[in-house]
Amino acid sequence: MEDGLAEHDEQEAGHGAGSFLGSFFREDRFFLVLSVFIGIFSGLSVVCFRYAIDWCRIYVLGTGAQLSPWRLLLAPTIVGLIIALLVIHVFPLARGSGVNQTKAALFIYNGYIPIRTAVGKFITAALAIGSGQSLGPEDPSLQIGAALASALGRRLRLSRERMRLIAPVGAAAGLAAAFNAPISAVLFVIEEVIGRWTAGILGSVVLASVSSVVVLRWFMGSESLFRIPTVRMQQPTELLAYSILGIIGGFASVALSSGIGYLRPRCRALPRWTQYFQPALAGLIIGCVAALGAPQVMGAGYEYIDQAMHGQFTWQFLAILAVVKIVATMLSFVSGTPGGMFAPVMFIGAMFGAAVGGAQHALFPHLAWSPGTYALVGIGVLFAGFLRVPMTSVFMVLEVSGNYSIILPVIVANTFAYVISRALQPVAIFDMLTRQDGLELPSMEEQREESILRVEDAMQPPRTPVIDADDLAKWGTQFAKSEMPEVMLVRLRPNGWSSLTRDELRSIIQSDRDGLNTDELFAERQVPVVHPDQPLDIALRYVDRWPLVPVVSRADFNKLEGIITEHDVLERYRDFAGE
Amino acid sequence: MSKQGKRFDLQPYLRREPVTLALLSGLAIMMFGAVAGLSRLYHQQQNSLATRWATRGHAALDAKSYGAAVIDFRTSLLYSRDNYSYQLNLAEALLGENRINEAYNYLINLWDRQPENGLVNLELARIAAERGQTNSALRYYNNAVYAVWPGNQDVARRNTRLELIHMLLRIGDRAQADSQLIALAGNLGNEPAEHELAGQLFLQAQDFPRALEQFRLTLRRSPRNARAMAGAGNAAFNLGQYVVAERYLQLAVWHGDKSSETKLKLTKLVLQLDPFRSQVTSSERRRIVLAAFAAAGVRLKACTAPGSFAMPGATLTSLTQKWTQLKPHITLWELSRNPDLVNTAMATVFDIERETSGMCGGSTDTDNALLLIAKLHEGL
Repeated sequence: MEDGLAEHDEQEAGHGAGSFLGSFFREDRFFLVLSVFIGIFSGLSVVCFRYAIDWCRIYVLGTGAQLSPWRLLLAPTIVGLIIALLVIHVFPLARGSGVNQTKAALFIYNGYIPIRTAVGKFITAALAIGSGQSLGPEDPSLQIGAALASALGRRLRLSRERMRLIAPVGAAAGLAAAFNAPISAVLFVIEEVIGRWTAGILGSVVLASVSSVVVLRWFMGSESLFRIPTVRMQQPTELLAYSILGIIGGFASVALSSGIGYLRPRCRALPRWTQYFQPALAGLIIGCVAALGAPQVMGAGYEYIDQAMHGQFTWQFLAILAVVKIVATMLSFVSGTPGGMFAPVMFIGAMFGAAVGGAQHALFPHLAWSPGTYALVGIGVLFAGFLRVPMTSVFMVLEVSGNYSIILPVIVANTFAYVISRALQPVAIFDMLTRQDGLELPSMEEQREESILRVEDAMQPPRTPVIDADDLAKWGTQFAKSEMPEVMLVRLRPNGWSSLTRDELRSIIQSDRDGLNTDELFAERQVPVVHPDQPLDIALRYVDRWPLVPVVSRADFNKLEGIITEHDVLERYRDFAGE
Repeated sequence: MSKQGKRFDLQPYLRREPVTLALLSGLAIMMFGAVAGLSRLYHQQQNSLATRWATRGHAALDAKSYGAAVIDFRTSLLYSRDNYSYQLNLAEALLGENRINEAYNYLINLWDRQPENGLVNLELARIAAERGQTNSALRYYNNAVYAVWPGNQDVARRNTRLELIHMLLRIGDRAQADSQLIALAGNLGNEPAEHELAGQLFLQAQDFPRALEQFRLTLRRSPRNARAMAGAGNAAFNLGQYVVAERYLQLAVWHGDKSSETKLKLTKLVLQLDPFRSQVTSSERRRIVLAAFAAAGVRLKACTAPGSFAMPGATLTSLTQKWTQLKPHITLWELSRNPDLVNTAMATVFDIERETSGMCGGSTDTDNALLLIAKLHEGL
């Protein structure tokens, strides 16, 4: 990869400094243009993926809404066997949702995702979702986008730095197309995959997401995954119901993630031959549930989210569907069937949301209510509680609904869900899965909440003498009479600081006692300053070159708030490690 | 490139960015074309499945198998999710199955998309009316009246307005019903049945002049319509035009409308007992006053007798005294001598009939007729 970088530099030089094209196609700009192509290719592949899922459903489960019980039992079971064979023998990397694989590509494999993984994911996830496994197409779309981007980056021999970033760009494009919601995709990838906001990556991620959504809408229309009714919060007292929804969503998130966390390693620890039957068994159980009267739990379930939003189920049935879907999703996922968790999470959230709204309406019939609003808020609640992406959870609901009037219930409910989930399940689902896989990827949640040391944590009160540069001669005389300090700070006019050691001051005074030109003297001797709120890392850059660094106020550069030395910084870091 | 020659190395060319972008553009166009072909196949299949299931749904709807229709339209919507007409059909099927809440939720969503759709407004109005949400029902009915309708818009609007009028009459809002009826009457065609219906509704709204007008229009086009004759008779009766009423009611009875016989009898009685009618001779007037005064006395006695409904109060006692004091003077001779006594006697009769009608039951046809005459000449 380093060769690639060297060659790239040579190539840039080859274009010549005066070449217009050469200067235009600097790697960062080229990367931006490339992001558009990544978006287009990801969008096209997601369109094909959606078609493939629908075709699988039609040919495996049939065209009707009411299926024969035999078909419900046999279709997911037989297809489960085929999926197991494919995953074990042909596409071993296609297991799982795809989010962690993309993170691993970013942090471990320098952006490398084999194209075979994308092909495998496409085929196996389409079969799984189409045959009724309780999984969704979003996470596989994310991985397919990332794999396509990675393949493109390798083909174009991008630098290592770009290669690391290209997978998340593709991931954002894939997810944006799958959700038909570019803002949410951008936020999710930044929040969960990359974990940091930088202007360079943000531009690429946005461009890729937007172009993939444009492609998707070209072929599939601009409608969202489900029809969004008019959503509104009818009266402030409803916030109580939304709080209850947040609490229920928090517990539901914990139930789902704990179930997966408990069952997944145990299923994997079973003898290898059982892995051929695990997806089939999960499919059989889901088929039984469907045959017993809840076919809604099969597949991604967007159409049922749509129906829940339009008040087509009683609140009791909605609650049952949510609980059954938790079990079905758990089984499908831990069995190693490739597929995503976003759609099931949306389903569970929508069902719980509409159920809580319906129950509220049953208890207080005089209160007007809109099932769509509760279902949408429920979706956000599960995103916050299960996926632990608080920002994405809020913006996704707003983006999908296109209505900012429900931001208050969304924030209230999501906060409850997030806090409960954090308290009961300290490790987020994606971190738990990577640790079960033996990887140690950076936890975005931990990174977000990591407390950082600041200059104010290490600085000392300003005990060092401060002298003004203009009064240097007078101070020199004064110091000559008394004992001089080891180091002193010099305040320069109009702004700036310098420092002098005792010997330096003495030699300056002795060399030219009469005509000191302080401007010339301190022109090359300025000391960098830091501010109390800056990270301690900033101070670390200076303290090895200057014996002490002034800490000054942001409002008044001449006002000394404290001083910081190398010893202070190291001491604080040592204490922090101990804490 | 010869077989033995070096393998053609694309990389140096690929890494020239403009060439790369050109190649990527070409690849994107090719893939776009391929996906477009796939997309056409996909959408054709989806449309065909949607149509197939919707056809089944329509058949089920026509056969009033609402349960099957619900399933069929739900399936068709799997393949054509945003199809307005399938959603409307599904809502109709749900209404047929009496799944009002589900239908309402579908309809309200359709209303959000097309607030000007007549059928959606009408169905929502019916649901609101059934739920007793009068204001919502009125709003949706009014929307439906001025909405866009497929096919014959005028007929649909007229029928909707009729439904609205029926609802208004059901809830007793006669003023609004009357204003809707006036609007309806202005747009009626030449069909006698339409005018007859309008006349009946005006009767229910107690707008008797317009009811009479509509029945007359009906009879002009359908002179043997007994119901219209009876309606006209009723309207004229309520207007106090008893001569006209007698004529129409008589005609109605002649044309077989037995239900008008009672009213005809009462009308005739009113005409017989009304001393202030024109074309009544003085002697006949005096006889009528005598009979009316006697009937009022009987009514008063019956009402104040022990065991009657009313406890004799101050008013009845005073009326009894008044009647008793007047009684010796109400003779043919006194009435002819003092014509003002006719008015005094009849005023007492009217007072007695008014008071006793509110307090005592069991009024006779004569009492009813006297009450109507009182209403005609003095107002109640």
